[in-house]
Amino acid sequence: MGLTRRQFIKRTAALTAASLAGIELPKGMQEVAQAADVDRWEPGVCRFCGVGCRVYLGLKNGKPVAIKGITESATNKGYVCMKGMLFYKIIHHPERLKKPLYRERKDQPFREISWEEALDIAARKFAEVTAKYGPNATAYYGSGQALTEETYLFQKIMRAGLGTNNVEGNPRLCMASAVGGYLTSFGADEPIGSYADIEKAYCFFIIGSNMAECHPVIFRRVMNRKLSNPKEVKVINADPRVSPTSRIADLHLQFKPGTDLALLNAMAYVIVEEGLYDEEFIRKYCKFKVGKPPKDVSFEEYKEFLKQYTPERAAEICGGNITPEKIRTAARWFAKSKGTMSMWTMGINQRIRGVWANNLIHNLHLLTGQLCKPGADSFSLTGQPNACGGVREGGGLCHILPGHRPVKVDKLRHQVEDLWGVPRGTIPPKPGYHTVAMFRAVNEGKIKAIWINCTSPAQSLPNCDYYRKGLAREDVFVVVTDIFPTKTTELANLVLPTAFHFEKTGVYGCTERRSQLTVKVVDPPGEAKPEVWIVREWALKMAEKFEKMGDSRRARNLRICVKDFVGKEEGYELPKAIWDEYSQKLTKGRDNDLSGATYEVLKQRPDGVQWPAPTKEIALRGGTYKKFVRGIDPLADEEGKKLGISGPYVFYGPAHKDHKLYIWLRPYKGAAEEPDAEYPFYLSTGRVIDHWHTTSMTGRIPELLRANPYAYVEINPKDARRLGINPNDMVEIETRRGKIVLPAKVYEGPIEGMVFIYWHDMHEERMANRVTKDAFDPGSKEPEFKICACRIRKVSGPKPLKPYVVGHKR
Amino acid sequence: MMHRRLFLKILAGGFLASCAPGELASSPIKTNVLRPPGAIPEDLFASRCIRCGRCAESCPYRSIKILDLRHGFYAGTPVIYVEKVPCYLCMRCVKICPTGTLRKVSQKEVRMGLARVNRRLCVTWKGEGICRSCYNACPFREEAIKLDRLRPVVMPEVCVGCGLCTYACPVRPKAIVVEPIYAFRTSR
Repeated sequence: MGLTRRQFIKRTAALTAASLAGIELPKGMQEVAQAADVDRWEPGVCRFCGVGCRVYLGLKNGKPVAIKGITESATNKGYVCMKGMLFYKIIHHPERLKKPLYRERKDQPFREISWEEALDIAARKFAEVTAKYGPNATAYYGSGQALTEETYLFQKIMRAGLGTNNVEGNPRLCMASAVGGYLTSFGADEPIGSYADIEKAYCFFIIGSNMAECHPVIFRRVMNRKLSNPKEVKVINADPRVSPTSRIADLHLQFKPGTDLALLNAMAYVIVEEGLYDEEFIRKYCKFKVGKPPKDVSFEEYKEFLKQYTPERAAEICGGNITPEKIRTAARWFAKSKGTMSMWTMGINQRIRGVWANNLIHNLHLLTGQLCKPGADSFSLTGQPNACGGVREGGGLCHILPGHRPVKVDKLRHQVEDLWGVPRGTIPPKPGYHTVAMFRAVNEGKIKAIWINCTSPAQSLPNCDYYRKGLAREDVFVVVTDIFPTKTTELANLVLPTAFHFEKTGVYGCTERRSQLTVKVVDPPGEAKPEVWIVREWALKMAEKFEKMGDSRRARNLRICVKDFVGKEEGYELPKAIWDEYSQKLTKGRDNDLSGATYEVLKQRPDGVQWPAPTKEIALRGGTYKKFVRGIDPLADEEGKKLGISGPYVFYGPAHKDHKLYIWLRPYKGAAEEPDAEYPFYLSTGRVIDHWHTTSMTGRIPELLRANPYAYVEINPKDARRLGINPNDMVEIETRRGKIVLPAKVYEGPIEGMVFIYWHDMHEERMANRVTKDAFDPGSKEPEFKICACRIRKVSGPKPLKPYVVGHKR
Repeated sequence: MMHRRLFLKILAGGFLASCAPGELASSPIKTNVLRPPGAIPEDLFASRCIRCGRCAESCPYRSIKILDLRHGFYAGTPVIYVEKVPCYLCMRCVKICPTGTLRKVSQKEVRMGLARVNRRLCVTWKGEGICRSCYNACPFREEAIKLDRLRPVVMPEVCVGCGLCTYACPVRPKAIVVEPIYAFRTSR
C-alpha cells in the first residue's frame, strides 16, 4: 500500500477524531432541523414486534412525516429500532390497496368493485358454504398484528354467528408452545413478571432467542443492565448459533439444534444434585407431574428421572461447545443469583416439543424459587405486537374463547354465550382446526371459504408450496384483508383494503400483559376501511342472506352479535364499543381482568394498563406489575381470601384447580427431521432486525430494503471451506420439500453442520418456507420451523440479485 | 471569421467547463468514490491503467464504473461509487486486470478505504434508535465493525472499505462513509 505504519496510525487517528467531531455537521443539523419541523406529535404504539414500544407520530399539515420514541415510556424508554422509526412511510404509501378487488376465478385478473358489491359477495359465499357444507367448511385465519377489537369481533361472528370454532391465527406459528408451557406449568397463561424485572435481575438465561435482532429495544435494557453491573450480572446465552445476542453473554452454550431438552434437564440435575433448590418453595407451591393424563410423582422419583441427564451425558448429547463444567456453571449462576430471568422465543417455541421445552425452563425457576420476587421470572418474549392481547386473551385460536376460556369447558362456553346473548349451544363444544390442520383441510377441500386477515400464510406457513396448492384451488373462496398486495392476495378471490395503524383506533397488548391504545389520527387512503367496520357490515349482510335462505337462527344470532355496534362511527366509536363489551363483560372475573381499562383510562394512562386490572383505580395506577403476589396483584389478595390460602403468593391460575405449580418430568426428544447421510445439515430460519416477517411492509420502505435487499444463508466457515463456498457464492439449499438458492454469508455464526437462513424474502427462489418442515408439536400444534435437514451445494459464483416484493415498483 | 486560435480556445474552454470541477487533472477519488480492490496508489494509477475496461466488464454486480471524458486525464479508469453500488468483494476484477494496476490481493487484504461512522448522524450513537444495518451488512461481521453497547465501531485493522455499510445505512446523509485513506501515498 506504500503506507508506513506511522502514516496509517496518523490517518486512522485523524478519522477517529473526525467521527467524534462529526465533520459533516452543517448538513446533519439540517436533517435534525427538518425532523423537528413537525406540527404536532400524536402518541401511539409501534406497529411491529411484541415489545410494545410507545412512539409519537409526527404530523406536518396532516401528513405523517416522522416517528420518535417516547422517552417517559415504561417499555422502550424512548428508543425505537429502524422499523419503528420509519413505518410512517407506510401510512400514505402509493402502493396501498385502496379499492376492493374481486375475481371470479383465480386465473383471472382482479377488477375493482364497490364496497357494497364486495361485502355482498363475501356474505353470499360464506352463507352459501354454510348452508351447503355446514359452518365447519368456513374458516377465519387472523393475526397477532390485528387489533384486539378486530380479533374479538371476527371470532365472535364466526363462533356465535356462523357456529364454528374454525378461528385461528398466525400466533399458532409463534407462541402457541409458550401458552401450552404456561398453562401446564403455572396454570395461567402469560408471564408473571414484567420488563421492570430486567433492571432488578442478576442473571439472564436467554435461550432460543436472538433478541438483539428481534426484540432490539428490550435487548438494550438487558444489555444496559449487564454493562452497568458487569461483574455482578451474569448473562447465559444458549443457542446453536452465535448471534448478536451472544455478544453480551458471559457464557455461550452452543449445542446441536434440538438437544435443548437434554441441556435443560441437565441443569435441573445439577441444581438438585448440588442442593441448590429452594426446598420451602417446592414444598409450599409445587407438585411433580408426569405423562398424559398427568400423574403425581414424588420429588424422589423426579430425582431418579434426572439421573438420565447428568451433565456428562447431556454434554455428549448436546455436542457443540458444551462441557459438563459449562452446564454446572450455568446451573449454579441460575440458582444462586439474587434474581434470575429466563427469556426465550421461537428457538424454544417452534419445536415439535415446544411445550416440553417451555416446561423445562419453568422447572428451573420452580426448583430454585426464582419466581415472583423482584428480578426473577420465566419470561417468554412474544413475537407480534398483539399476539398476547388480541389472540391469546381475545379468543383468536380454535380452542379458546375470550378471557382465557377453553372452548371445551361447558360452563365457560355457556358463560360466553350468555354474555353475548345468544342461545346456549350456539358455540360448538369441539375446538376447530388448528393452523396446520386448517390449511390441510383447505388442501383437501373440506374448507370452502376462508377469510385471511392481516397475514400472509402463503409465505409464512412451513412447507408453504404444499399449502399454496390448497389456497389456489378454484373451489376454495379466499378473502384477504390487507393493506398491501402479498403472496396471499395473489391466491385470493376477494381482496379488501384495510386501514393501517394510526388510521384506525384499537388496543395492542404486548408481551408483559400491557394493553396500550392507539387512536386514529389520519384517514385511511382511498376507500380503505377499518376491519371492525368490514366485519360488522359483513355480518349484517350475512344475516340478510341467511334470512332469505330461511336460516332465521343464524340471521338472528348474527344480528345479536353486532346489535350494540350498528351505526357507530368506525374511526373511534365502533372500536370503543367493541372494547367496552370485551373488557367489561368478557374479561370481568377472569385472570386477565381488564374491566378497569376503559378507553378513557387507557388515554389517561400514558403507559397503558397491565392486567389484572379489575377496577378503574387499579387501572389508573397502571395495573399489576407482578401476578400472584399478595399486595401487588389485587386478584391474589381476593382469591387468597376466598380460597383460604396463606403465604405471600396465591397461584389462582384457572387451569390448575389445586392452585399449585407443576414441575414436569419431560424426557429428551430430538427434532422431527434430524440430519442423515442424504441431508447432512441442520437448517434453521430466523429474522433480521430491519425486516418484519414477510416484508410486505418493510420491503416498501426504501431505507430498510436497501439495508437488507434479499435473504442470504449463513454458513459456518469450516463447512464453507470443506464445500468450497466463498462469501456471496450462490448456494442451493435442498430439503425433502424443495430447493431454494441464496447467496452465502460465511460467518462464525451457526454451529458447524448447521446453516441459517432469513425467512423474509418474497422471491420464489429465496423463500425460506418453501423448504421448512410442517411437523408440529402434538400439544401446542406449533410447527417446527427451527429445525429440518438439508443439503447444500454451491451452484455459481456471486450473482447480482434484485430485491422482490409483490406489487412493489422501484 | 474566427481565428484558429480563438476557436481552439473556445473549444478547450467548453471542454473544461463541462468537466467535473477540479477533476480534469486531479484524482476523482474521494469519500465514497473509490478504486476497485487491489488498486495501486492513486499517484500511479492513471498512468499504469491501460483503460481496457475489463474490470468493469467482469464485475457481476456492476459496481465498477468507467469514468467518462469529463474526467480528463482520469477518463477510462475504473471507480466504485459505494453509495450507488458497493463492492461485494467477489475479487473477479483483480484476477482479470492485465496490467497489475489492480494487484492480486485476497479479500481480506483489500484496502479500498476505511469506513468512518459519523456519531452525530448515526441514530444509535445519537441515542434515538437502535439500528444495526451497517453491522449486519459488513462482510466481516464482528471483525471489521463491532458493536459497543449496540453502537457501531469500525476496526481499522480489518475494514477493507468495500462500502456495503455505506450502502446499507438508512440515514440521510449517510452516517457511515468510506474514506479512501490508503489511496494516496502522501497525506493530502
